[in-house]
Amino acid sequence: MTQKQRKLVRLTACAALMCSALPMAGAMHIMEGFLPPSMCILWGVIALPFLLAGYFSLKRTVAHDRRSITLIAMAGAFIFVISSLKIPSVTGSCSHMTGTGLGAILFGPSAVSILGVIVLLFQAILLAHGGLTTLGANTFSMAIAGPFVSYGIYKLCHKLKVNKLVSVFLAAALGDLLTYCVTSVQLAVAYPSATGGVLGSVIEFLGVFAPTQLPLAVVEGVLTVIIVIALESYARPELRAIGFEEA
Amino acid sequence: MRHTHSHGVRSIDHLAYTSGMSGWNPAFKTVLALGTLVICLAADRATVSAAVILALAALQKWKGGLALHDYGGLLRVPLAFLLLGSAAVACDLSSVPAGDWSLSLHWFYLCASADSVRFALALVLKSLGAVSALYLLALTTSACEFVGVLRRAHLPGLLTELMYLIYRFVFVLLDTHGRMREAAGARLGWRDFRTSCRSFGGTAAGLLLVALRKSRTYYDAMAARGYDGGLCFLEEDKPWRRAQAAGMAAFWAALIALRIIAT
Repeated sequence: MTQKQRKLVRLTACAALMCSALPMAGAMHIMEGFLPPSMCILWGVIALPFLLAGYFSLKRTVAHDRRSITLIAMAGAFIFVISSLKIPSVTGSCSHMTGTGLGAILFGPSAVSILGVIVLLFQAILLAHGGLTTLGANTFSMAIAGPFVSYGIYKLCHKLKVNKLVSVFLAAALGDLLTYCVTSVQLAVAYPSATGGVLGSVIEFLGVFAPTQLPLAVVEGVLTVIIVIALESYARPELRAIGFEEA
Repeated sequence: MRHTHSHGVRSIDHLAYTSGMSGWNPAFKTVLALGTLVICLAADRATVSAAVILALAALQKWKGGLALHDYGGLLRVPLAFLLLGSAAVACDLSSVPAGDWSLSLHWFYLCASADSVRFALALVLKSLGAVSALYLLALTTSACEFVGVLRRAHLPGLLTELMYLIYRFVFVLLDTHGRMREAAGARLGWRDFRTSCRSFGGTAAGLLLVALRKSRTYYDAMAARGYDGGLCFLEEDKPWRRAQAAGMAAFWAALIALRIIAT
């Protein structure tokens, strides 16, 4: 039973990575054609080892338990849907949740990279968010960096005996912020500033996206906490089944 | 549904199924879109990008039967990112005034030069050209057919299987969520920001529950119908047409010629 649960956790972890990939639907997916070809290839190559590791882990899980395939697919679809929903907004602008933190906390980050790349591909062809050539860069920021950091923060807080809801908030909000920072760095490396070089350019990109991304990170953290509260109230057996451990 | 400018999952999917180009061979459309995308990025010239945008808009209009108004609305989807991103590319931060224009912001100067603005505009044009190429695929080919192309390109079976399942589950969950949203709305759940956050969290948690429950049911249903690890779908036979391939070659040749002239 524990073995089975572990597998489920792993499968769902894949979904978590996916989550991270999908989320920043609005402003933070690097659009098709925005990166020069060399950068597209570079980020694709950087993302590749994570994707391969994710694929092999996924393959093991499915070979071990064929039933997990629909669960993994559902987790992927859930992440896609969550990230395509408009979230409540004070300003009335159209923003989306990233789901990075939620996915990483619920499912764990291990095999999620591969689900992330599938979700990003569907976001590109079904939602026109992101693109095919920028898939590598977006995968790295949203399906790899964000979920791993979210999960790390969540685990760290758990070790430090921080209140569970506070750690959920921190994991979701900081995972969101990190995705935004990584994307800014990716853009800055591609387009360094004439006087300030890459560093100056990083500051510029962080600056232009900050007004939308900073409030979004806070809202994302709050919403993730609300979702976790609701899940813990109504869905304890299901949470246990996907391997989300109870504090 | 088509005329709403929300860029929901359903609208692009709907357009892909109703497009006049949906009868074309999906592998051909993929090759055409990717080839045009690569030429547009590699050429890196405003004239080539503009030619790609105009040619593909014309193709969507005349062959795809897509109203230009709708197409324009879809092209505006990435606009927020493009405007912010290119603003950061065009402007520069400096401690002393530099470039052709400088704006003093007390601690530093925001500078831009004619060259950097020209570069940023070319970047926007290039990106729109690339998005047009992406739309050539997205608005004419259903995701299922695209996954079929990936399968034939020898993507591992496990991944294509997952893609098929995720694509279908997305619509199941969207439908479920739509009902939850309406139910919450009927109880004034979206009345103000605080209530909205609560409803959003509640519906998302409910959605995860439904998703987990359905995943079990669906596996049983698939197993009862003989699922043994491979999903097979009937696909319509859509042959390559010589005229289309010739048109593609001519289009690419014209773009490359334009790139050579525009050096």
